[in-house]
Amino acid sequence: MVDLAQFVVGGLATGTLYGLVALGIVLLYRSSRVLNFAHGDLAALGAFIAFTMLVQLGWPFLTSVAVSLGATAAAGALFYFVVLRPVKEATLLGRIVVTLGLALVLSGAITLLWGADTKVFPFPLSELRGYRLGGVFVSHLRLGLSAAGLALMGALYLLVQRTRVGLAMRAVSQDLVAAQALGIPARRIFALTWGLAGALGAAAGILTAPVTLLTPFMMLDPFLKGFAAAVLGGMDSMPGAVLGGWLLGMAESLFAGYVSVKFKTTLAFVIIILMLMVRPEGLLGREFHRRV
Amino acid sequence: MKHVRLLGLALVLAALLFSASAGVAQERGITPTEIVIGSTVPLSGPASYWGLGVGGGIDAYLKSINDAGGINGRKFRTVLLDDSYLPARAAVNVRELVERHNVFAIVGMIGTANAFASRGYILESKTLWITPTTNDIWAGLRDRKYLFVTYPSYHNEGRILTEYAAKSLGTKSIAVFYQNDEYGLGLVRGVKYGVAQAKGIKFAGQASYEVTDADVSAQAVKLRATGADTVFIAATPTQGALIVREMGKLGWRPRLLATFTLGDPVMFRLAGEAWNDIYIGAYFPIPGTDPKLDEMLATLIKYNAALRNSPYNALAGVSFVEPLVEAIRRAGPNLTKDGVVAALESLRNWDGAVARSVTFGKDRRQGLNRIFIVKAENGKYVKVTDWISYQTQF
Repeated sequence: MVDLAQFVVGGLATGTLYGLVALGIVLLYRSSRVLNFAHGDLAALGAFIAFTMLVQLGWPFLTSVAVSLGATAAAGALFYFVVLRPVKEATLLGRIVVTLGLALVLSGAITLLWGADTKVFPFPLSELRGYRLGGVFVSHLRLGLSAAGLALMGALYLLVQRTRVGLAMRAVSQDLVAAQALGIPARRIFALTWGLAGALGAAAGILTAPVTLLTPFMMLDPFLKGFAAAVLGGMDSMPGAVLGGWLLGMAESLFAGYVSVKFKTTLAFVIIILMLMVRPEGLLGREFHRRV
Repeated sequence: MKHVRLLGLALVLAALLFSASAGVAQERGITPTEIVIGSTVPLSGPASYWGLGVGGGIDAYLKSINDAGGINGRKFRTVLLDDSYLPARAAVNVRELVERHNVFAIVGMIGTANAFASRGYILESKTLWITPTTNDIWAGLRDRKYLFVTYPSYHNEGRILTEYAAKSLGTKSIAVFYQNDEYGLGLVRGVKYGVAQAKGIKFAGQASYEVTDADVSAQAVKLRATGADTVFIAATPTQGALIVREMGKLGWRPRLLATFTLGDPVMFRLAGEAWNDIYIGAYFPIPGTDPKLDEMLATLIKYNAALRNSPYNALAGVSFVEPLVEAIRRAGPNLTKDGVVAALESLRNWDGAVARSVTFGKDRRQGLNRIFIVKAENGKYVKVTDWISYQTQF
């Protein structure tokens, strides 16, 4: 019973991370239908920038995080202006492949600049200290991480659903031509979306690094799982991404505990296939209709 | 007409003679001024920490030889290709090394699965191959003339550490945390063999991870549920540190054993306090205890400052290539592959700067037959046993 509770708690904490990664993927997909394969590497870039500020420059934690979020957001927006915008005539698949290229460039650059050795990311909360409730252990870090993840999710939801910028983002995603005709600056909105997704990625990277340790490839697994969580929850639903993350995190943890550790990673992909067969729009996604 | 025929015959004969003489003089990867050495290692991906350390060590060492004048007028040129720790890419890389870069020898290769995928091509193309870091995957392969290995076997390491834990540390039951491939499985087999050999110890269970896994919390809970008092870790540095931290979070402190691939001092930084008291195998002296080895490390760092962050792996890279360099030196100015093979076979208890007591022979391709055990104490490794020998397998 203690083991079961520990599996659930561990799964939920990991699921929050998956949800956070999924949010960044969904945010971009909703507005531009581009599946950003570089999301994980943008997240790693954010974590490395924060690491440099914290360790090499000795800046305070919050300043380092703020600079990292800003820099990664700028990198995301820059990528949109410099690479994606000029290839706007390319097919959707073409643009997705361009993001794959960005992923390779970023991971190579990170390895070159910071080296491939594993580093310890200093975080104000400890992974080894925490609360023990009847044999179930929750570390300060995981608690803080879940809280930060939830706060970010809430803020993003408010931004997209309750502000004029959010309204413009939704308008651009629903009908680009009509939005432009109504005077919405689509280019700026797309750049803003890329920037937001970058910042969200950096936040996910900074929250992942203390758990998984900092390496250029640390986001490989969380990105794939975040993608699976997005498909599970619905590629165009932000609450769906969060729900998908939690469900996937728990399913993985319980599967590893009671069925097979070896096939834990495979489970995410089995879930994607099953979901696409049974409910392609995801748990909370809306069915997409287009009139011809 | 007769003249034309004679001329034609003369031309054909000249061409045949030229190609025959060229065949004798031209050894692949050797020119009067250069020796080309190649390797495929993970320079990117989850195992790049090993690849950059080992590959960087090989490269820096060969550069230092070049700067000291090379060997018999020849200098080394190193070709390092990236396989991302993927067997399919490693197999393609070795073809590229042999057919495009025309290497004289391939040094190293990280990952049993990678070596497994490439071994057929390398052995059949009769390319000199020095120390792939693998399990014993050579059984049943007859033509091993050009293969030389100065790397201990994981199987024997697993067995020796398990027997030591049973005899000297009071271990009653042991579980294994391992990478789900031939590397991890080789150590699992070694531990099981050790359990069968020693008295009063049982095998409690095992839990695996994939090399890209970022979360091993479920494995820690599973290992605790086995009731083992000792856990053997056969992992990459990242997952090795993660599992130790996860066990710490559960408040579970079993005795820990680990393979020498986790011997780098970086583990103290990654795993923190929890790394103290762990027992690890070792096959060359501990840095800081041996002047010859420390001098080599200083040289490597002079050529590549980044190696400061992975001293153990950089030195391991040197241990793979230095017997080859010694053999090339012994083979003399008229360098041929078979000459180098004969020189390698002549090594008897040869001590390099890193590799010690290397012995090859006509029927012996496993150059090392001993390891010792170290214990982590206050952020340092301390030797706790003398050399422990094992039977060479090939």
